[in-house]
Amino acid sequence: MTLYDARRRKNMIYVGLCYAASAFGLVWLAWILGALIFKGSAGLVPATFTQMTPPPGSAGGLFNAITGSLIMSIAAVALGTPIGILAGTYLAEYGSGSKLAFVVRFINDILLSAPSIVIGLFVYQIVVVPMGHFSALAGMLALAIIVIPVVVRTTEDMLRLVPNQLREASSALGLPKSMVIQKIAYKAARAGLTTGVLLAIARISGETAPLLFTALNNQFFATNINAPMASLPVVIFQFALSPYADWQRLAWTGALIITMTVLALSIVARVLGRQRTKS
Amino acid sequence: MIPTNRAGVDLPAKILVKDLNFFYGDSVALKTVNMSVYANSVTAIIGPSGCGKSTLLRVLNRMYDLYPKQRAEGEVLLDGENILAPGQDVNLLRARVGMVFQKPTPFPMSIYENIAFGVKLYNKVSKSELDGRVEKALRGAALWNEVKDKLHASGLSLSGGQQQRLCIARTVAIEPEVILFDEPCSALDPISTAKVEELIDELREKYTIAIVTHSMQQAARVSSYTAFMYLGELLEFDETTKMFTSPDKKQTQDYITGRFG
Repeated sequence: MTLYDARRRKNMIYVGLCYAASAFGLVWLAWILGALIFKGSAGLVPATFTQMTPPPGSAGGLFNAITGSLIMSIAAVALGTPIGILAGTYLAEYGSGSKLAFVVRFINDILLSAPSIVIGLFVYQIVVVPMGHFSALAGMLALAIIVIPVVVRTTEDMLRLVPNQLREASSALGLPKSMVIQKIAYKAARAGLTTGVLLAIARISGETAPLLFTALNNQFFATNINAPMASLPVVIFQFALSPYADWQRLAWTGALIITMTVLALSIVARVLGRQRTKS
Repeated sequence: MIPTNRAGVDLPAKILVKDLNFFYGDSVALKTVNMSVYANSVTAIIGPSGCGKSTLLRVLNRMYDLYPKQRAEGEVLLDGENILAPGQDVNLLRARVGMVFQKPTPFPMSIYENIAFGVKLYNKVSKSELDGRVEKALRGAALWNEVKDKLHASGLSLSGGQQQRLCIARTVAIEPEVILFDEPCSALDPISTAKVEELIDELREKYTIAIVTHSMQQAARVSSYTAFMYLGELLEFDETTKMFTSPDKKQTQDYITGRFG
């Protein structure tokens, strides 16, 4: 029995360590969320969603920042998703074993982990400098460059999960390869592909660095993509660093809005992911 | 060895395999195979694992084309036309030579769409005509009564045996001339197996059928002709009754009586 007891004791110690490690990780997360809700929820009033960012000392909201973030994120996803899905499709369906695919995959992985500030500087060099001014267009491009590798990666992974038998079965009906991919593989991987796009949205919705050098900021409501545009992360960055209490309050509220949006997107992605495994 | 039809009936060979060699990269999987698949009959291909029987089947609709390192040499004549010829349109070929796989593979869509999908590929049909084709295919696969009330449920919600019959219905719906079965029952229980076998027996009237099977009993039950393959060679090809009672070769005898394989 002593050997068994020793094993039991060992097991208890390891399980205890596992719990402690999980708790350690979760504490920070809970702390951040708690602080955000505590400091930010007071600002969740209609004015925040309808008024512009104020000059210091006066009342205002985040309307221009929220719409700016929405416009740029949507455009970035609209730009990055098709490229990402097509490239991911190439890697999974056409490029297996080829040198080009190997190189593309490798570079994509580098891009995936590239610091976003580098991407911001890159777009600054190739768009902002030649154009001579900051613009929402440059911001969209920077965000799109962040979207692409995320979508490429998930698309490839999800298409690889589609059983090969399904491809053979549809080819056996006389479907050309392009139709097999469009009608069968995409359909079978649909939930996974959507999850990838949602994750990409979650990823860009908090990005500050690439926007600082591209879209900059705008105190006023703007829809012109040829001009600077406000965004939540940049406004938070600016307001949080300021000495003004009302700006800091708005920064907390903005942070809470981003966090909740990302949380909601992650939950949707999870639910979709579960549906995929069920079918 | 060009096989002769011992029954003396003038059965035309729907498919004629001539000096077929097959390679996976550098390794040889089929060695000078010669064989016929007769029209409107069932031809079984048996043999131990790894003997090349599935490989042979996958040449008949050029399934191997999906994989760049696989290649075939020789001739496979479908109604006298060499399907291995470079100009052959593989997609049209596969519409003429359907295939049912070992594992049921319903598409991730409704039962109705699983069948309508293939039909719509080749024909411009009205909604009512499509409904008719779907019903006919499902009846043809003896599945209609089980699914007629849930045509718009997912094909994946069916049982394994039903899924396999759905795959058969899907194949039948595009009206091929030949149907290839690659161990269609090895993932099914005995009752589903019996249903699929009955179905194959009915399909023989309209289609030319080749079936790869691991089950000697199944070969004996469903086929009129049997080919015995061993280590990439076609050792013996004859009428099933002859093969199972007095085969010419000792290896055939040994395999059929269960001494190896």
